[in-house]
Amino acid sequence: MIDLQGYGPRLLEGALITIELAVLSLLLSVVLGLLTATAKMSRNWLAHRIATLYTTLIRGVPDLVLMMLLFFGGQIGINMVTDWLYYQFDMDIFINIDEFIAGVVTIGLIFGAYMGETFRGAFMAVEGGQIEAARAYGMSESLMFRRVRFPQMMRHALPGLSNNWMVLLKTTALVSVIGLTDMVRVAEEAAKATHEPFTFLIPVAVIYLLIASLSEWFFAHLQKRYDVGFGGEECNN
Amino acid sequence: MAATPLPLEVINLKKRFGDNEVLKGLSLKAHKGDVISMIGASGSGKSTFLRCMNLLEQPNEGDLIVHGESINFKQTRRGREPADWRQVERIRAKLSMVFQGFNLWAHMTLLENVVEAPIHVLGKPKKEALEHGRALLDRVGLLDRADYYPTQMSGGQQQRGAIARALAMEPEVMLFDEPTSALDPELVGDVLKVMRDLAEEGRTMIVVTHEMSFARDVSNQVIYLHQGLIEEAGAPAEVLENPQSERLKQFLAPKF
Amino acid sequence: MQQLNAWFTDLLAGNEIFTANTLGYYAEGLATTVQLVFLSLIIGLVMAVPLAIGRGSKRPWIKWPIFFYTYVFRGTPLLIQLYIIYYGVVFVEGIQDTWLWLILEEPFYPALIAFTLNTAAYTTEIFRGAIKATGKGEIEAARAYGMSRAKMMRRIILPSAFRRALPAYGNEVIFMLHASAIASVVTIMDLTGAARFVYARFYAPFDAFLFVAAIYLCLTFSILYLFRYLEKRLLAHLKPQS
Repeated sequence: MIDLQGYGPRLLEGALITIELAVLSLLLSVVLGLLTATAKMSRNWLAHRIATLYTTLIRGVPDLVLMMLLFFGGQIGINMVTDWLYYQFDMDIFINIDEFIAGVVTIGLIFGAYMGETFRGAFMAVEGGQIEAARAYGMSESLMFRRVRFPQMMRHALPGLSNNWMVLLKTTALVSVIGLTDMVRVAEEAAKATHEPFTFLIPVAVIYLLIASLSEWFFAHLQKRYDVGFGGEECNN
Repeated sequence: MAATPLPLEVINLKKRFGDNEVLKGLSLKAHKGDVISMIGASGSGKSTFLRCMNLLEQPNEGDLIVHGESINFKQTRRGREPADWRQVERIRAKLSMVFQGFNLWAHMTLLENVVEAPIHVLGKPKKEALEHGRALLDRVGLLDRADYYPTQMSGGQQQRGAIARALAMEPEVMLFDEPTSALDPELVGDVLKVMRDLAEEGRTMIVVTHEMSFARDVSNQVIYLHQGLIEEAGAPAEVLENPQSERLKQFLAPKF
Repeated sequence: MQQLNAWFTDLLAGNEIFTANTLGYYAEGLATTVQLVFLSLIIGLVMAVPLAIGRGSKRPWIKWPIFFYTYVFRGTPLLIQLYIIYYGVVFVEGIQDTWLWLILEEPFYPALIAFTLNTAAYTTEIFRGAIKATGKGEIEAARAYGMSRAKMMRRIILPSAFRRALPAYGNEVIFMLHASAIASVVTIMDLTGAARFVYARFYAPFDAFLFVAAIYLCLTFSILYLFRYLEKRLLAHLKPQS
């Protein structure tokens, strides 16, 4: 076996942080993505503009730069607000940005833009007749969304969703740069301390590969479930 | 008589897909200027037979002789294969095929499609090929479409372009695989007219077709295939006007 | 020219961060980023063509190693790949005594190797998909007209696959530009590195990072428009005329 020289437990903790970070930011990005997609499809001029600006800016700037901007800038921004509150209202609040939360927010914000594009495409792929039928049967907008649009949209969104998740998972590695001790950070520290880079970095790479492979398998299964009723497309020619 | 070799001769050709024998020993002789129509129900093996002639499918048994040159086969673990792919490529260049789905190369303009193989397979000088290519496009009535891409043309135009591409090879024999089946009815006429002209100028053609009027009026030989065998063959007047077998009678009976 | 100079000095006089000195850092950073991205993309592209062809080979000893390579490099973060190559090189025993050290001492080269291997893996899969999507009929026509395998690859399959791959490859170029920001992690003074330096010096995250974000945005849009233009010219044949 590989001799992890006592770094084993810390690597494991780091791996857990990576997974938590990835899952939480995925949830946030899905919520943001649905909001963005709705805003982009809405007739409201302002909502459309804001959503477009958001996706354009996020997709035009490197993840790492955004991360640093939000993390380093965010702290100063909050300090400015709390200072102002202190001088104006004598309220003494001190908020320290937690690296983990900053990581979740940044990655969620970045991938919300990508998810927005995925969901928008998927919503538009749902046939108009399906919506019309739901309306004709007296479904309310929210019922229609839950029972017809969302399940049908998911079928079209899954490939993009799965792709975004894979990229997001790899992007979590960047949080090690802003000081969060995920598994990449632990491995890098260990590599520097022991002068044995491969002993620590290669297992971490393998863990990423494992998570990616598992996710691939999981998404393939999910796709099968959402393809119910559409699978005939290939057979009935 | 034997001085000039036949453009194409097929002897006792057999083809299996797995356990399913789709061609059960077919022979055919094409003399210079022959126009042979192959008819038959779908699944009769007529297209497979045509595709075996230029080795797009590998026959399991039988011989192919193109302009006196016999194709060499060898036995491998995977079955029978041509012994020399160079020879196959050389022979394919003598048998131009026109496909049901046109199969023009999508990233090239029509003129580029026509001159591609003459330049890069036959090694013709570029200038000569371009001149010849333009003349051929003029013949099929598409000179004004020379710089169009295939997707910018109708199916009938694409197929006439594909015929020009076949002619550019100056082939011994032209093979047509249901050339009008993928076309809208109103576009079929233009393509058939081009084929009729080719027949009249003495081209050797083998045509898999559903167009009975073409088979009757243009070809000098009709072959009726049924379940991988030649059921009837002969002059169109005999085969089409006076069918002997029940199956052919049924096949030719007007459908409602 | 003098007027311009005066205007520029005026503009800079208003703040203490964007002096000619710090702008110089950004300019050098821009040059480093462009070099790093451009070189890795070019080398990666050259590697990807034979790899994509090999990936579609019937021979398992060609196909599977290439699959393994692309799977590993696409399945793990670029940062890990960079660390493995950077630290791997630095900590190899005795490497400091060889001529290789002259090259590898500069962090630029380990980063270039990591980026190149990474983009080559992605590009291989992009080309592989585009090659696979070549119309069956077009390949059949090439065979029927007597083309050899090599000729068919060169004349029919690759030219049409390259065109089809263009949109996806455009995304890969932008991805590489953005991914190159991590070069700053191994002490390279690229664009992001310059921004980090300015941030650390003046403790002004907004100025430092917003400025560099604007530069990246401009680069991204230039690439985007370049590829749109190329697509319009080279993909004309795929759009039916209306």
